[in-house]
Parts: sequence; C-alpha cells; structure tokens
Amino acid sequence: MSGTPARQVDDDLWSAIGDPTRRRMLDLLLQDGDGTATTLGQRLPVSRQAVAKHLGVLDRAGLVRGMPQGREKRYRVDEAQLARAIADLSSVGSAWDARLQRIKRIAETIQRTRQA
Amino acid sequence: MELGTLTREVYIEATPDVVFEVVSSPEHVKQWWPDDARYEPVPGAEGEIVFGDPAAGGTVVSFSVVEVQPPRTFSFRWTHPAGAAAVHGNSLLVTFDLTPSGSGTLLRMTETGFREQGWEAAVLEERYREHTTGWDFFLPRLVSYAADLGARR
Repeated sequence: MSGTPARQVDDDLWSAIGDPTRRRMLDLLLQDGDGTATTLGQRLPVSRQAVAKHLGVLDRAGLVRGMPQGREKRYRVDEAQLARAIADLSSVGSAWDARLQRIKRIAETIQRTRQA
Repeated sequence: MELGTLTREVYIEATPDVVFEVVSSPEHVKQWWPDDARYEPVPGAEGEIVFGDPAAGGTVVSFSVVEVQPPRTFSFRWTHPAGAAAVHGNSLLVTFDLTPSGSGTLLRMTETGFREQGWEAAVLEERYREHTTGWDFFLPRLVSYAADLGARR
C-alpha cells in the first residue's frame, strides 16, 4: 500500500464512473467476466456505437482493458484500478457514514422488537 | 503525516441502552463493520477485528478497548501493529458519545488519527468488501459522494 493522499479524486475517473450507463456496463462486465460493444449493446437500451463510446471513456480512465478480438475488442474490468477508484472516491468519512447508517438500522430494529 | 479528526452525528430512534449495545458489543459490531470481532467490551481489553477470511487473503486488524461507560461513552483504538500497545501515534481512536434526545439517542462518532493511516485502513477494508458485496455496497456511497461533490461546486 503506497502513501497516496486521501483526496486525490481523478476527474476522468469520477466522470467515467459518474454516468449511470457506464456503471451499468461495469456491472455487466463484472457479472459476465467480459464483453464487447456488441454483446453489451444487446443488453442495454443504447446503440452499439454509444456503447463503444462509453467503453472508450472507461478504457481511458483505466477501469476496463480491451483485447482485440476479430474486428472488435473484448473488454474486462481492471479490478485493481476499480478497487483504487472506489478507495479514492469513498473517503474515510463516507465509510463511517455507511457504518453509522447500519448502526442506526440495527438499533432501531432492536428497539421496535423490544417494544412489540 | 497530518493529524485528522472526523466527526459524524446521527439521530437514532432507540434508547441509549440499545444504541450502546450496538456500538460496543462484538456480536453487533460485526453486523455493521468487520466480518468478525473478537474482544471483551471492557477497558484495556486487547482484541482484533477481521475483514474477509484470514485463511484466504483476509486481514486481521488490532483492536483495543479504551473507555466503556454505558450508556454514554464507548471508545477504542484500532490499526496499531499487532502485539504493540495502542497509543496516540500508532492507531486511530474512535469514540462514540451517546446523548438522550427525545425518545431516541443522538450518536456522535469521532475518529482521530493520522489521515494516512485512516486512508490505508479504509482501502484495506474495501479491498475485501469489493468481492463480497460489490456495487450493492459501493454504489450508495458513490452516489452520496456525487451529491457531496455537487453541493461543493
């Protein structure tokens, strides 16, 4: 683990992951293991051309890597880069926000159970 | 390295007794944070919290109880080197303060320590979470980050 400062949020990375279609694409690639603009296009309500464009954005941000396959490229998620992106994007603060929300949910459930 | 303090407050519709139990007992702590928590909730107790499966690349993190005053205060130190005494400078100090408020409790969490250490701890944790919960876990956090970013711009 290197000592990178906590708040180095890369703009490219953020805009890559900030788009719902691209997040959906990452989900599908994680789920299926890999995919091409054609296979992803079949599962998304956008054109193959739009998918190819989105893949380009994800590729430039380092979130996916493409291997040439015939006339297309087959893409996989770069899990190391995705883990780094997530670590950068979620500060220590948001980690605690999530924990506190879980504490709240658990305590309120116990309270309701005891009152019932 | 820079010393940082993080403070969060949340209102919980449950009595301080219940909230205290949830923030301090290992059985509850592992429901909202690590995969396993092994410590006695008494002052000075040394223990550990576990992320993932230690036999399969998971990680064990030192955890040391500092203050236990039910139902007001629970604090602990974590991330110090295994076997070392947890002190200022080698660990993060987390303090939960509970205040009765209406029919519920105001829970205030403060984490103090070197920022870099906190960041490393967060990365460590997320690395293991990613494989178990994936986007279900991270997406809400990314969305709240986006809202944050939007508010600041």
